[in-house]
Amino acid sequence: MRSRLATTMEVDGLSAFSLREFGCEQNLLSRPDGSSSFVQGDTSVLAGVYGPAEVKISKEIYDRATMEVVIQPKVGLPGVKERAREQCVRETCEAALLSTLHPRSSLSLVLQVVHDDGSLLSCCLNAACMALMDAGLPMGCLFCGVTCAIDPEGHIVTDPTAQQEKDSRAVMTFAIDSAQHRVMMSSTKGSFSVNELQQCIAVSQRASEKIFQFYRESVRRRYSKTV
Amino acid sequence: MRETPLSNCERQFLLKAIEEKKRLDGRQTYDYRNIKITFGTDYGCCIVDLGKTRVLAQVSCELVAPKENRPTEGILFLSLELSPMASPIFEAGRQSELLVKLNRLLERCLRNSKCIDTESLCVVSGEKVWQIRVDVHVLNHEGNLMDAASIAAIAGLCHFRRPDVGIQGDEVTVYGPEERDPVPLSIYHMPICVSFAFFLEGTYLLVDPSEREERVMDGLLVIAMNKHREICSIQSSGGIMLLKDQVLRCSKIASVKVSEITDLINRALENDRKARKEGGKFGFAELMAVQRITALKSDEVSIEMSDGDAGAPSVAITTESPPEVGRVPSPVVRAPGAGQVGESLENAWGLEQLEEEEDQPGDEVMDEGLEIKEENQRQEKSKGEVVVISDSEEEEVVILNPKTQVKESTLHASQSQPQSTGAAKKKKKQQKKKPVH
Amino acid sequence: MSDCLKEKVGEVLLPGDIFSFENTSEKVICGPGLRRNGDEVLVCKSGILRHKHPNMYWVDSQQKRYVPVKGESVIGIVTAKSGDVFKVDVGGSELASLSYLAFEGATKRNRPNVQVGDLVYGQFLIANKDMEPELVCIDSCGRANGMGVFGAGGLLIKVSLGLVRRLLAQQSALVKELEQVFPFEMVVGLNGRVWVKAQSMQRVQVLASLLESCENMTPQQRHALFRRAANGAS
Repeated sequence: MRSRLATTMEVDGLSAFSLREFGCEQNLLSRPDGSSSFVQGDTSVLAGVYGPAEVKISKEIYDRATMEVVIQPKVGLPGVKERAREQCVRETCEAALLSTLHPRSSLSLVLQVVHDDGSLLSCCLNAACMALMDAGLPMGCLFCGVTCAIDPEGHIVTDPTAQQEKDSRAVMTFAIDSAQHRVMMSSTKGSFSVNELQQCIAVSQRASEKIFQFYRESVRRRYSKTV
Repeated sequence: MRETPLSNCERQFLLKAIEEKKRLDGRQTYDYRNIKITFGTDYGCCIVDLGKTRVLAQVSCELVAPKENRPTEGILFLSLELSPMASPIFEAGRQSELLVKLNRLLERCLRNSKCIDTESLCVVSGEKVWQIRVDVHVLNHEGNLMDAASIAAIAGLCHFRRPDVGIQGDEVTVYGPEERDPVPLSIYHMPICVSFAFFLEGTYLLVDPSEREERVMDGLLVIAMNKHREICSIQSSGGIMLLKDQVLRCSKIASVKVSEITDLINRALENDRKARKEGGKFGFAELMAVQRITALKSDEVSIEMSDGDAGAPSVAITTESPPEVGRVPSPVVRAPGAGQVGESLENAWGLEQLEEEEDQPGDEVMDEGLEIKEENQRQEKSKGEVVVISDSEEEEVVILNPKTQVKESTLHASQSQPQSTGAAKKKKKQQKKKPVH
Repeated sequence: MSDCLKEKVGEVLLPGDIFSFENTSEKVICGPGLRRNGDEVLVCKSGILRHKHPNMYWVDSQQKRYVPVKGESVIGIVTAKSGDVFKVDVGGSELASLSYLAFEGATKRNRPNVQVGDLVYGQFLIANKDMEPELVCIDSCGRANGMGVFGAGGLLIKVSLGLVRRLLAQQSALVKELEQVFPFEMVVGLNGRVWVKAQSMQRVQVLASLLESCENMTPQQRHALFRRAANGAS
């Protein structure tokens, strides 16, 4: 298989990256104001959003909404890893949301990991974006997450599985915005060169187009009966 | 966050309806809502939908030192979590009264009833035993969390497989799933909680109260029972006075419900086992029902091609070096929505089930749409002619195509409706209506 | 400008979509979901672009959470009486206040009979992001004009904001079809709350489930469902 790959590469002069199959369902929970489930391969995350809702006085911000993100692991209580991910997701959401439109209110996003098979942070980001959209919160742009892994030989693997992440030398996750495909957040692990970082960003930007296209299709499908 | 208060008119309506032996969702007094049990990719992962209430359970294990007074017994640890996703009043990490109550009930239902053989979990007496941990997450609160949680927990335990261990001398080896097949837990019996809500000082009772019904109820009786009609725990809360007869009647109802639910769990486990065997891989939970209303959409793969002109200078370098080592050929397109073959299967199943029940509307349980989702073996399909793929594989890919698949499901699922989504929906509707007229 | 918007009417838009102005002389009114951003119009909610003659555009989305808007009529639940105002839950981020004088014929002596848990139908006198919203149950002439406290009976149900707008639309096909099922009373609040009352409890139940289920249905599916309900109820 691998050799065949090499030949095709020569013929086409193309390189290829694949994203695992992905799926999304919006508005699947009855209680939250917005909810979504996002699946990338076997990785699956469920998201629920409440807001704009009442905010605790101690957390009130006078000129914008207070954004809270909670990530619930499947086993055990949230630890440092979840806290770090929460922060990544929160900062991305804050950047995309027009939170000044709902001052003194709270927006809370809860993410439940349903299955982790690699690229978890990017799946969280995607689920978050779909849930925020479902909740009808005002956003300046959309965002999506793309994870790239660099294996020991220096090849880039997009949307890696847990095994691929384990075997890799570095793993990077980027949040990309939909307006100009710029990087909104990045989270990296392992060592890599500047060149590799640039490559990964370029690849992620390319991959984000596919994801945004998917967002559009899934929203279109959702509204297909009310048009 | 604040919860929307219950208005007087809702309260009055609910109570009046209960007096007239009617329920808002069209159920009869002793009916459960739909129960759907789905298992995840991992062993021991289970999602239970009870109407709109949704609960996720995950069973895991680790080797720990046993308790000093019980050196040869493994440990069963239960932890129920009210995720803030489930309701605006739940806060992350807060020990609310409800949380404590539910946790205690679950412990009494599962641990104190000795439903699993803890002695078989001993590895080295006094030194190493397995601790089985059950994490239950409430994801959507629409009433009767206890029953949903107990079903999820026991189904998860039945589904779970722990790694096999070997002992040579003093050395304990834990084998990975590749080396030796993981072993199931030995389950003695399956206790399941059944909740009864009492209204107007215990004059009226309802099985499986919904969220709104819970808000107007006076008292709650929870009976945990197994299918051998053995009561594992019983708890009455809310401070209502119940007569002996009432409790006995409840236990009779509970025995019927428990045997039905146990059957359902067994069927779900059986289906999952089959799916795992046939599909080679696993049955996957949470893979969404593609046919379901507009709200969802599952899409297949998308491939990412960086052509030579991809903008960043770096791409040129990427082009030279063939990417992806662990991965297969070049423009890889994973089979469109691998879950879908399984799903068409599941859909037909659910509908059959519904039809069955329509035939016999007197049936106790309204419907239990058990759906097992399968993900069949993943297939790689090449894009265009770039990579050669054998004909047979290609054929399969064609079958997998979402559109064809939807059509198929419509064919054997419904008679009149042109759209499968509509069909599924309609069916449900009809069903709801049934008890009304 | 309006041409590029007009082209997209009836299509699904996503947050971040941008329409740019070419000649600025044209006037366009941006409704919910659209925001002016310099010379551009930015979409900030997902939904379908709608147009009203001559130049009004907005995004029709299906959300659940209500955000108070001045002048909109809503159904509120009275949660507390404090001093001379009632605190009313309208589903927004804050409780709205409702003065006891804001009812028809109310004076300092003659207070309206409103209990905690009662439903009120009122409209927003003040609603903006920086202030506590204020409800009134009278119009500018001091008349009740259909607003006030609800009588006994009936049932309150919660539906999406999109469905509520469809119910309230003039010549709404949905309402027409519902009327044919059987006679009933209905009060629709823009905050996604619908109060229904019918002859019997059973009919209320049927109505509630019809409303909850017709959200995502094509007209044909709806017809079939309603017909079945009508046959069943009669």
